[in-house]
Amino acid sequence: MSSSVLICDDSNLARKQVLRSLPESLSSTAQLATNGEEALELLSQQNFDLLFLDLTMPVVDGIGVLEGIKAAELSVNVFVISADVQPEMQSKVMQLGAKAFLRKPVQKELLHHHLNEYGLL
Amino acid sequence: MSANVCEMIAEQINTGILVLDLELTIVEWNRYLQVHANKHSNEVLGQSVFTVFPELPRRWFERKLASVIQLNTPNFCSWEQRHHLFELPHTRPISTDSHFMAQNCTFLPIEKQGKLTHICILIEDATDVCHYQSKLNSALEQLAKANKIDGLTQVFNRKHWEECLAKEFGRARRYQHELALIMFDLDRFKLLNDSYGHQCGDLVLIETANITKSLLRICDQFGRYGGEEFAVILPETDLDGALDVAERIRETLEHSVIKFQGEDIRFSTSVGVATLSADNQRYEDLISSADKALYDAKSTGRNKVCAARQELKLLVN
Amino acid sequence: MNQLILTADQQDCLQELINVAMGQASDQLARYLDTFVHLKVPSIEQVSSEHLSQSLHQEEQAVAVVSQGFFGYEGIRGEALLVYQPKDSDRLADLLGYEPDELSVEEQIIDLSSILTTTFLNVFASQIDNQMSYSAPRLLASSQSSISEHIEQQQFTWDAALKVKITYQVTDYSFNCDMILLIPSAAIINITTVIDRILEAF
Repeated sequence: MSSSVLICDDSNLARKQVLRSLPESLSSTAQLATNGEEALELLSQQNFDLLFLDLTMPVVDGIGVLEGIKAAELSVNVFVISADVQPEMQSKVMQLGAKAFLRKPVQKELLHHHLNEYGLL
Repeated sequence: MSANVCEMIAEQINTGILVLDLELTIVEWNRYLQVHANKHSNEVLGQSVFTVFPELPRRWFERKLASVIQLNTPNFCSWEQRHHLFELPHTRPISTDSHFMAQNCTFLPIEKQGKLTHICILIEDATDVCHYQSKLNSALEQLAKANKIDGLTQVFNRKHWEECLAKEFGRARRYQHELALIMFDLDRFKLLNDSYGHQCGDLVLIETANITKSLLRICDQFGRYGGEEFAVILPETDLDGALDVAERIRETLEHSVIKFQGEDIRFSTSVGVATLSADNQRYEDLISSADKALYDAKSTGRNKVCAARQELKLLVN
Repeated sequence: MNQLILTADQQDCLQELINVAMGQASDQLARYLDTFVHLKVPSIEQVSSEHLSQSLHQEEQAVAVVSQGFFGYEGIRGEALLVYQPKDSDRLADLLGYEPDELSVEEQIIDLSSILTTTFLNVFASQIDNQMSYSAPRLLASSQSSISEHIEQQQFTWDAALKVKITYQVTDYSFNCDMILLIPSAAIINITTVIDRILEAF
């Protein structure tokens, strides 16, 4: 059974980069959100196994999404994919429940390694 | 480029090349640096850069190189901020005042197989640029000064004096401080010129400026307003204070004797005084008040001080 | 005047390249300066040379402007202007890890500018498989009109500029400055070629 994926990033290029790094089984059904508000709305309507989340976004940023997920007690696995890679930011998102922190531009091998770790491949 | 060609260029280029490892030990240097530092390679290579060049500001230098090593980016040091890092002689020993070569230094990270292993320091002679820049700067300074000073009397010229007045006027109005203006004019100056010649007139103008200057405070701004007319800005001064100064100027000038071709030249001045009042909207209003008072002094007998008329009314009250 | 318009896709791609460069540069800076650097999404604006002076009007308060040229392969080159506001220049020596008496305020500003420019552009270049060289940074006369004067002198060498407003906020120091990249139109065309190549790959 394939997992359902949501990709949330305000950059079209960044969304495509993630899509292209995913195996066909995940990318073919992946849904897209262009900011945190859209992502939270989609998350409240349907179940996702996996959320790829950017941090610096307009309207609601990545931190806001993580807080929203926590508040609504949603069970989605969050992989943060961020341009801001300072250690303080990494520990902040991990504390907020993210499962992995990947630096931009996303590396396919590293992404697959994390997917394997959570049995999502 | 082949390694051989690179080596030949490095040996002949007119730029110092110094290569350090990450412990800041000198591992290579080129001929330019050898001849300028006047040291043998065998007493330099393998030594700490601080041993060979003890003049380097150690902490600063270490921090500078730390940025190159940690950020893997070039860094720079210009003669404009730091005249030189390395004490090297230059090739213009006579026409420059500095002992050492002015330098532009570039610090470059050197990578081998993706790993930073060395730092290359390029040292360029900027003595010529430095020399011409300082000449240019002093010329510009002189120009700026010439723009403000009256050539004959060496006090402020009218343009600069008016700019000063505009500033003082604005400040006094903003903070409701006092401000006084003195304008004075040599009496019968034309007659003096006609009888003794223009050289004598010029001498009187110069002496008038010198004598008046010696009677003023540092904060007072003194200029030649035109022809034989002078003007003084007195910040933080009320009418009584300004009348005191005006009277002192008039009296001192009246008793001054100027020697010209064996003759004693005596002269007098008429002085107008005005102070800032509520209806002075522009600084030009203050000038015209003082000018009117000066005219009063002239028309009522010369060699005297008059205050602007509205002020007189106030005094009477 | 050459008014160059990036397509929405090109603009998006450039924004992402700059975001990533910003992020990595800030990470390096934070390590070097030993403090946390807070990032904001940088704004990118294309400005024609006539409008740049106008758009820089708010920067007229600047106390210092540092200029540094950069050039890479494939005709990518330009000039970076780092613009500092009066309140920013107070504790730079502290931030840079120097003793205050070791270097003048001018030198501090130049040092910081060079670090900001080169770290940012190095990462930017590596993303597009390029490599940058830099000219020595130069402090422009710190008179109030210096930016517009400088821009006017440069009128003939560039037609359009990419104004990337970067806000570096540093905890403990509350300091920020703007980076403006002036890129001649020929170089912008070269950048769009590179961007198109990246876009094609997706």
